[in-house]
Parts: sequence; C-alpha cells; structure tokens
Amino acid sequence: MSVATAAPRVDLRRLGITIAAPTLAIVFSLLITALILISTGDPVMSTLDQVWAYGKQPRVIALTVNQATTYYLSALAVAIGFRMNLFNIGVDGQYRLAAFAAAVVGSSFELPKPLHLFVIVLVAMLVGAMWAGIAAVLKVTRGVSEVISTIMLNAIATALIAFMLREVAVEVAGSNNIGTKPIAESGALPGIPLIPESPLEVFGFIVVAALAGVAYTVVLGRTRFGFDLRATGHSESAAVASGVNVRRMVIVSMLLSGAVAGLVGMPQLLGGASRSYSLDFPAGLGFTGIAIALLGRNNALGMAFSALLFSFLDASSIILDINDISKEIVLIMQGTIVLSVVVAYELVRRYSIVAEQRRVSRQLAEEQASARPKEVST
Amino acid sequence: MAVELTGITKRFPGVVANSDINIAVRRGHVHAIVGENGAGKSTLMKILYGMQRPDEGTITINGHTVSFSSPSDAIGAGVGMVHQHFMLADNLTVLENVVLGSEPTRGGVIDFGAARRRITEISDNYGLDVQPDRLVEDLGVGDRQRVEILKVLYRGARILILDEPTAVLVPQEVDELFDNLRELKEEGLTVLFISHKLDEVLQVADEITVIRRGTTVDTVDPAQVTARQLAELMVGSELPTPETRESTVTDEQVLRVADLSVRATDGRPLLEDVTLTIHRGEVLGIAGVEGNGQAELVEAIMGMRVLSGGVVHLGSKDITTWSTRKRREAGIAYIPEDRHRHGLLLDSPLWENRVLGHQTERPNVKGQWIDRASARRDTARIVEQYDVRTPGIDVLASSLSGGNQQKLIVGREMSGSPKVLVAAHPTRGVDVGAQAAIWDYIRDARRNGLAVLLISADLDELIGLSDSLKVILRGRFVADVDPAQVTPEQLGSAMTGAGERP
Repeated sequence: MSVATAAPRVDLRRLGITIAAPTLAIVFSLLITALILISTGDPVMSTLDQVWAYGKQPRVIALTVNQATTYYLSALAVAIGFRMNLFNIGVDGQYRLAAFAAAVVGSSFELPKPLHLFVIVLVAMLVGAMWAGIAAVLKVTRGVSEVISTIMLNAIATALIAFMLREVAVEVAGSNNIGTKPIAESGALPGIPLIPESPLEVFGFIVVAALAGVAYTVVLGRTRFGFDLRATGHSESAAVASGVNVRRMVIVSMLLSGAVAGLVGMPQLLGGASRSYSLDFPAGLGFTGIAIALLGRNNALGMAFSALLFSFLDASSIILDINDISKEIVLIMQGTIVLSVVVAYELVRRYSIVAEQRRVSRQLAEEQASARPKEVST
Repeated sequence: MAVELTGITKRFPGVVANSDINIAVRRGHVHAIVGENGAGKSTLMKILYGMQRPDEGTITINGHTVSFSSPSDAIGAGVGMVHQHFMLADNLTVLENVVLGSEPTRGGVIDFGAARRRITEISDNYGLDVQPDRLVEDLGVGDRQRVEILKVLYRGARILILDEPTAVLVPQEVDELFDNLRELKEEGLTVLFISHKLDEVLQVADEITVIRRGTTVDTVDPAQVTARQLAELMVGSELPTPETRESTVTDEQVLRVADLSVRATDGRPLLEDVTLTIHRGEVLGIAGVEGNGQAELVEAIMGMRVLSGGVVHLGSKDITTWSTRKRREAGIAYIPEDRHRHGLLLDSPLWENRVLGHQTERPNVKGQWIDRASARRDTARIVEQYDVRTPGIDVLASSLSGGNQQKLIVGREMSGSPKVLVAAHPTRGVDVGAQAAIWDYIRDARRNGLAVLLISADLDELIGLSDSLKVILRGRFVADVDPAQVTPEQLGSAMTGAGERP
C-alpha cells in the first residue's frame, strides 16, 4: 500500500465545509434581521443600503479597523482557553483591571519612548495573567469551575476598579468624567495612516494584534506545548494517558489567556486621545470576544474576519439611529449570527465526520476490490 | 414465531454493519446470537429494540410486521432489553428504580403500594427473588441484573433481549441467571441472548444463530455442535492460535513492582500489596474477572494513579514518583484498555495521533517544535509496517475501524524501542485478522527483548501469549499459574476464587 506523506494539498472539500458554516449563519441572521425589519415596518433593502453606504466611508472604515483590533485581541484571549476546553468568561474583568493598572503605573513616571510603552504593556499582561491565574488556581486546587470563578472575578474587578479609581482619580479636563492621570507623551503609540482619505489614523497596536495572531497560530499548531494544549482540549483522558500534566496545562493556559486579555485595553489606552483609564473606558469587550472566537472557530484568520464583521456592524449602526431605525437591530443580528453559527458548526462537524468515514470505507473497499485478483493473504 | 428478522441490512460508515440478516425466534425459546466483538450483534439488537432503523428488511413480532422508531415503540410491542451496563440509580430502592419512568399513579400520586404488589408478583412468578425495598447500592451484580430483568418485565415485555449478560458475572451468578432464564422460558417468554462465550451459550440456548461480518452464517442446534465448531463458524476459518512456545525469558529484571497498594477516594482498597517482576523477553499475563484491580494496576504503573504504598522499579531506577511522561520517555509503552478514551484523539488526523504519547520524542519533535515532516513520515512507516488500512495519514482517527485504530496504536507504542509494554486488552473489539497481527507484533517484540505486562479477558490469548500468569481477585494476586499446564477452564475457576490457595 502506498501512503501519501507529502503535506496535504489545500483540501478544497474541507475548506468548503469550513466556510459553509459561518456563511450559512450570516445568511440566516440576515433573514432574521429582514423579518424583524419587515415586522417593524421598516424598508429592508434601503436600510441595508444605508448601512453599507455609511460603512464604506473611509472614516468609518478606520473606526471599524480600530474596534476590530481590540475585538481581535479579546477573541484571541478567549480562544486560548477554548482550545483547551477552558471557558475564560473573565476576559472582560481581566482586561479592564489590566488597563487600569497599566494606566496608573504608566502615568506615574516617564521613560524613553519604547521602554515606557514596553513597561505599560508588560504591566497590563502581568495583571491580566494574575487575575486569570486566580481562577486557574481555584480550579486546580479546589475544583472550582472556571466559568463560575471568572464571572465572579469580573464583578470583583468592576468593584475594585471603582474603588481604586476614587483613590487615584483626577478630573478629566473639560468634563465631569474622572480618570487616572494621563500617561505622558513618551507612552503614546502613534497611529498609522492605513486607510487612504480617512481623517482618522489606525491604532498602532494593530501591529501587535497581528503578531499575536501569528504567535497564536504558531504556538498552538507547531510546538510541543501547543500539541499538549490541543490534545487536552480534544480529550483530557487521552492527554493524561499520553503524559500531559493537565493541572499544569490549566494554569499555564489560563495565565496565557489572561496575559493576552491584558492587551485588549492597550490600543485604546496607548492610542486614544486621553491616554488614561476613565469612567468611560470601553467595557464589555471580553464578552464580544467570546462571540467572535465562536464565529471565527478559534482560528486566527477566522477570528480576524469575525472581528471585522462585528465591528463593521457596530460602526455602521450609527446611521440607523439617525434614520430613526432602532440600532439595536445590529445587536439582534450579532446575536443570531453567534447562535446560528454554533448550531451550524455542530451540524457541519457531525456531517463531515460521517462523510469522511464514508469516504474512507469507500476508498478502502475500492482498493480491496482492485487488489483482490492478486491478493495473497498475509 | 415470536420474532422474525428478514433481510435486515444496516449500512454504517467505517464499521461492520448488518447485511441481509435472517433470524427466526420461536416463542418460549432461549435463542442465542453469537459472534465476535464487532460482528454486528449489538447493531442488530439496537435495531430490534428500536434504537436504530434498518436500511432494509422487515421485523415481525408475533406475526405482525412492525417498524420501531424508538425503544418505547419496542416496549409497546412487548420487546424489552437488558443492557450490558446496568442503568440503575444507586441511591434509590429497587421499587423506585423499577417504576422510574412508568410510575403508576392514583390521583396524581405515585401508587407505591400497587407497584410493590406487582413487583412481588412478578418476582415470585419468575423466581427472581427481588426485594423491592432494598437500596440498589447495597445489591451485588447478580441482584442488580435481576432488577434490570424485572424492570423490563414490569413494563410488559414478553420478549427479552439480554446483551452480554454474563460479562460481569462470576460463574455461580451465571448459573443463577441461567436458572432464571429457564424459568422465564417456562412461563412462555422469549429470550434473545447475545454472547460470545460459547460454552455458556451451549448450556442455556435452545437455538443458536451465528453472525459473522454482519451477516447470519448459520442457525444451529446446540445439541449438535461443539464449542470448537461454533467458534469456527464465528471466525469463518481455522482459529488462529496465539501460542508462543519457545521461551525467550532472560533473568534480567526490567519492571519490578513491590507491595503496590491503591485506595479509592473513600478508602476502599482497590489494590493490595501487589508484587510482580517482569524480565527481558517475558510476557506476564494477568488473569481476572474485570474490575478486580487490573485497571488500577495499569494506571499505577503508568503513573496515572496516586499510590497508597509500594514501589515501582524500571531496571535499576526507582520510578515510583515519576510522572507519566517521564515513565513513557524512559521506555514504558502503553496500549490502553479503552482506545477511544485513552489511546486516541478521535477528531485528529492519524499523524497527530502518532505524536500522542510520544510528544517529547524523536521523530515527532525537534526541541520544542513539532517536526511535522518526520512525524508524518514515521506515521506512513507505521501504516505500512503494521498494515493499518487507511487511504492516508490525514484522515481522522475516528474514520478507521477499531482494528485499524488498534494497529496504529500498537505500531506507535512499539516505536522508539520500548523496554516495557503495558498492554491492556490489546485485541479487544478488533477483527480476527487484526487480532492475529497484533499477537504477532507482541511475539516479535518479546523475542527482541521486550518485557510485556498483558491484561486480557480473553483466556486463550492470555494462555497462548504469556510466559507466566498471575490471577488477580479483589485487588490481590491469588495464584501463580503456568500457562503451559493450565486449561482455560482451570484458569476461569481460579479467577473466581474457586482455586484460591490458602
């Protein structure tokens, strides 16, 4: 029997199956959205037209890309856990606490530019990792479900930030908002004029996000550590039998997930106008990250597309309000996308396993049939 | 005829399905269906019990053609099934378990009085000797099985399917079960008895249907056949024998386990003071009824269990405190009992499964990196060398048949010249061809100096492959047996404690 060892050609069938699920989900959610628009008496086509026309303006595209950058980092953090069957629901608390701590530390001194930035990001990653680490330790030592503990830690993080913000807060100039002291100019990350004709620059942190995506793919797909992590996610019992120390893997992957979560607030903190953590610092990104990781199937590229889709919907929904259509329609759409994609993936997964089994048995049967005349029993 | 199955065909990807099965079961008979693991017995019974629909063919119950879409349809037609694994709630009484799901009510309240009367009545009628108010957790295996049978009768079944009912029983319990079956038969009930234990089938059945590779081969009268003839019908050719005769045992100790003890979380001893030594080129077989500590012994040697006492030595090194990974790296190979749970990543391609368990060793890795190219090359080598039937190494492990999955595992574990092989049921659920091949691989490796710990429920396999045998019972070794002298019957009685020595 000859066995193909060459790296697999791009398997069109598998690729088709992979893309089928999210496409179906998006089409399905468009249908639902259309139905809702019809039921509220709004014109479907012209609404979608408006969204599209608004969304393709250069300034809105820049906004979309910026929002997608933070969404992407959040999705990466969630995906690290997902790949190991760990549900880090706490990315939200982790990034907010991390951004707050980084803002406090970063505004307390000045350093030469790259070093200052480096220290701020490092603090954020450490704090994010630490906050996630609490859930990991609880899971490993006391068997507490990480779902429960990370949800609790989100609430604790909210309270902790509110409490500490009172201690360190200064008034944000020209408003009645309060926030941390602004980080000095040496801690500012310049934007990139990526979108032509846009008055808005793209966060410089997009480079870090892209690198994080590459690192994610390489570490999980190509290293021993990644193999252990994926094996644990596929089958914990098989991983244990193969010699994986599952407790250690839980700790390490939670720490990693938390460290990446620490990056989520950085585009805004280092690239935003105020360079401080104030009351209106974006919240809830951690939960969006869960949705994006699900839609992107924990795949670095897939999550990039989903992040762009979600932030496009967010950014272009503004126009709906202006035209007197409730922009919550976008939330409904995002919700249906996630729900239907979960269903679609499961259907596709089952279908493709059965299809592959069929294909293998057919192929073997053919092989046997063609080999029969000269078959010698072994 | 109580049950007639005509032309039943069920296509399934990757596994032996049913094709053109024809069975007729007379009312008031115990009809046995025998076949190897994977021959399609369970699929057939699932079809008869409404858990799966046949692609072709008809089922006739008492002369009426039926089509079941769920087990409740089957129960409605008077067909009940007693599963191999009991489905009882431990913390409920027998009474509560029996009525669970079909509670008799009076005015919206469960009428336990009526239920108790019916249970006692059924129990007396069929001599089941079931006490309705005992807690299930206090019952032994044989009692639990009778509760399961009663549960089915309570729901009005007149045709009983028993799926491998003796797998978990010791011989006395088997005798009791057979007495029960005869009682049921006399009351006009029909029993379909699935098994692969031929001597038991010959004892109890009125008719025997043999299934091989998914189809019915023959229906025979137990009075006219011998166990050997039945076995040959099952296998379809001359039986392969696992015999290894010329000894390759050396006096070099490779694996030594001394005074090993393992306790359950509630303090119950699972293994007590177990001591064994395996030499280079030796196969040490462990015989025992399942659940007597074999699984714990394997896991203790692999470092997957916390010991409450004892030491494990590999060569001259004390490895008692080593992690599973370190033990594997040091040359302990492992064929797990449950290949789906412990041996494979079913949703991953074959070549990733080649890496599993050896993810720190060449050729799979280079430093911290997975070496895809050479791992893939080596997977192809295993596929060729161990005759794994697959169209390629990128197919998912779940698409291979059980035998081919097992050959892949065997090939993987034999790679990297291990010193010790811990093999738990290495040929369970694989077809005859793969079984013979796996035996050959173990024999070859033994000749090359491998020390093998062999756990098996197949007594022929144990006797044929082992250089020495130990019998385990309730977590202790109770006898040493010479495989050259012992018969399967003697070994069987030693396993149940009948041959226990003072």
